[in-house]
Amino acid sequence: MLKFIIRRVVWTIPVILLVIFMTFVMMRQIKGNPFQVTERAVPEAQQRTLDRKFHLDQPWYIQYAYYVKGVFTANLGPSLVQRDRDVNDVIKDHFPVSLKLGGLAMLWAVLVGIPLGIIAALKQNTKLDYAVMAVVNAGYALPNFLIATVLIYLFAVKWREHTPFPTNGWGGWETWVLPAAALGHAPMTFFARIVRGSMLETLQQDYIRTAKAKGLRWRRVVGLHVLRNSLIPAVTAAAPLLGFLITGSFIVEFVFGIPGIGRYFVNSVTARDYSVTMGITILLSMIIIFANLLVDILYGYLDPRTRDVRT
Amino acid sequence: MSKRFLWAALVGALAVTAIAGSSTAMTGKTDGSNAAQVLKMSIGSEPPSLDPGLATDTTSSNIILNIMDPLVKLGKPPALNAVPAAAASWKVRGATVTLNLRKSVRWTNGQPVTAKDYVYGWLRTISPELGADYAYQFEGIKGAKEYTACDPKKADCNALRAKVGVKAVGRYTLRVTLVSPQPWFIQQISHHSFLAQHKATIDRYGSKWTEPQNIVTNGPFKLASWKHDASITLVKNTKWRNAKSVKLNRVESQIIVDATTAENAFSAKNIDVNSTGVASVNIPKWKKTPYWTVFKALGTYYYGFNTKNIPDVNQRRAMAISIDRSQIVKYITKSGQIPAKGFTPIGIAGGPMILSKSTMPVKAQLTKAKAALAKARNPKRSIRLYHNNAPNHVKIATAVQNFWKQLGLDVTIRPMEWKQYLQFLGPPPNADVDVYRLGWIYDFPDAYNGLVLWTCDSGNNNTNWCNRKYDALVNRATRTPNTAKRLALYQQAENILTGPQGQLPIMPIYYYTFNMLIRQNVKGFFENPTGQYDLAKVSIR
Repeated sequence: MLKFIIRRVVWTIPVILLVIFMTFVMMRQIKGNPFQVTERAVPEAQQRTLDRKFHLDQPWYIQYAYYVKGVFTANLGPSLVQRDRDVNDVIKDHFPVSLKLGGLAMLWAVLVGIPLGIIAALKQNTKLDYAVMAVVNAGYALPNFLIATVLIYLFAVKWREHTPFPTNGWGGWETWVLPAAALGHAPMTFFARIVRGSMLETLQQDYIRTAKAKGLRWRRVVGLHVLRNSLIPAVTAAAPLLGFLITGSFIVEFVFGIPGIGRYFVNSVTARDYSVTMGITILLSMIIIFANLLVDILYGYLDPRTRDVRT
Repeated sequence: MSKRFLWAALVGALAVTAIAGSSTAMTGKTDGSNAAQVLKMSIGSEPPSLDPGLATDTTSSNIILNIMDPLVKLGKPPALNAVPAAAASWKVRGATVTLNLRKSVRWTNGQPVTAKDYVYGWLRTISPELGADYAYQFEGIKGAKEYTACDPKKADCNALRAKVGVKAVGRYTLRVTLVSPQPWFIQQISHHSFLAQHKATIDRYGSKWTEPQNIVTNGPFKLASWKHDASITLVKNTKWRNAKSVKLNRVESQIIVDATTAENAFSAKNIDVNSTGVASVNIPKWKKTPYWTVFKALGTYYYGFNTKNIPDVNQRRAMAISIDRSQIVKYITKSGQIPAKGFTPIGIAGGPMILSKSTMPVKAQLTKAKAALAKARNPKRSIRLYHNNAPNHVKIATAVQNFWKQLGLDVTIRPMEWKQYLQFLGPPPNADVDVYRLGWIYDFPDAYNGLVLWTCDSGNNNTNWCNRKYDALVNRATRTPNTAKRLALYQQAENILTGPQGQLPIMPIYYYTFNMLIRQNVKGFFENPTGQYDLAKVSIR
């Protein structure tokens, strides 16, 4: 197992280099001047000075070399647009916010989605099952900016006398609930469906029939045997899903005014803030890679059948 | 089993009520803060910088000008004359401006603000090392352009630095030598680029000097906190020279980028001023409330022609007068915009006089337009209209496409992403561009700032139009301090653009406005035509 982990960790280095290279090429292709923000043209003298200051007047391979050096010395450079901030500062200030938001959304998805899936599976083909699945499938189709705006309107404006939730911002616990629900609702529907599906499959298995025949209490059978085995697909999907939740929360952050990294990332591309875009891309790639690594390790522990095959 | 469940539920309920009771959300919905003179507002973006040398946008500018004391402030519109602020008085003799500073202006660390602080700040802003976008604002000062263009690796920039025409001739006296007697200079220095900067703080903290724990300022408010991308809080500077007149104790600005969220925050009473804006579809609803507020802005929304592709002025005239500006502002923009008669905004000092002969019609003049087009030799029938991608621009382009269809022109609309669009327009614009959309917000309240855009060498002239007579008129204005004579020159220049024999390299459409939602108990909140609001004049009833 250790050899496996080390091998995977070593592989991340060429992957990161490839990510840097691809992002670098793409950013240069889309063109656009990072220093011109409004229609006001940047005077030639200033343009030259700024290009010189940020190495943009160098040939592409020199710029790439500067960049790679920066990544490996953990100095991701200054922001081209926000002149008094470094990319390191941006990540330090905003990444923990997205991490927390992603984690809370995942918590919401798990706490709401899994029980819904279990109920639907245990009461298969009853009205309860149909009702739960109808709600879940409808929720799956609704985009999260719609959910976000509706939640704000209902809970923070219309019923604000009865709820503590504000319309926007990030601070105390009241500000976490609506964004977590908005961001978490799609994964929630995903978990509900996956858990229902895998539970139904597990319930058909022979060993469950044996357990029932042995005379075990139904609650124990479900709680111990069925649940444990049916949660494996959900758990293994959870880790990369968490990765995507942390990195893909732009819309929810935008609507709720949450100072997270998703919003910063999208804005940096529009603004052509090369160093911020590159820095955040590296960060997010590493999160996804790490999440996938975690899944592979977890899978080995959760499902003993795969363990021997792997090593 | 059920007993265990009950116990867990009880503990859970207790925990929730305990947390609910004890936490204080940053964006909590509190009312009754009015008596405490706390203004809660929304701003539409994170300020890219609070450094007077580096800031270029109005969000940053508004914060900077409320935590710093500018030399002058702008008085009532439309004249927007310079009113003494940190400068007590000034003398203008030809191209030399001498400013006498008030001795009562102090930095927040107690030190007095002296002429040396202004010299340091201005030279830093135009220094080649800083690479400040707004260094161009200083080009009217002798030696400034040369100093900014200096390459420190190739020449000794210190020699050029010493030749720049801004000097401290006394502890509290600042002398500025201009390249020509630009009469608007005294209004121009109300801009945040011309603020004093505290050298010791900048030397000590470098690029981090604007963080709240480091920054040293000298204005009516202090920067109490700056949570990036979330909120900015200002508190009253009790040691300011005129602190007695400032009513507000705190200003909490939440950064809300989404207009709908800002509207919801306003409806939920989380904020009392929404400066982020209102979603276009909701404008009719808000117009019916007493909160809807429109301020006139000095800025023009226009379409420019690529005069290489549409060389016949008759065709340009036909296209310019065939659109219905009143319908565009009534049904599309809906926020009190004024149809543009010419390029210079009507609200600027001398506007009506400058525009007296301009010919852009409020309503469409289709018959006249068709007649003009008939006079055109070989008119271009297939038109490509470029604009940057935003909802209102799309709607306006679609309306214009329709108006021009009635002239027999076939218009293809091409939206583009902002930065690519700017690069596409050059100058010179890409050969595929026939008509393009842009706007111009004035840097200072003088018609020169807009008219100079259409000179041959202007980096903002994307029309391929060059008229030496026009250039001469605009140039002469920089040497004409007499207001009446200068306005006459501006009128002649504007006539070359949009007069009866106008060349129409551009067709102005409307003059901008700023719109906000302001709760009725907020008094004195006024955004002047250059986009500036003075929080020292605001109070809460």
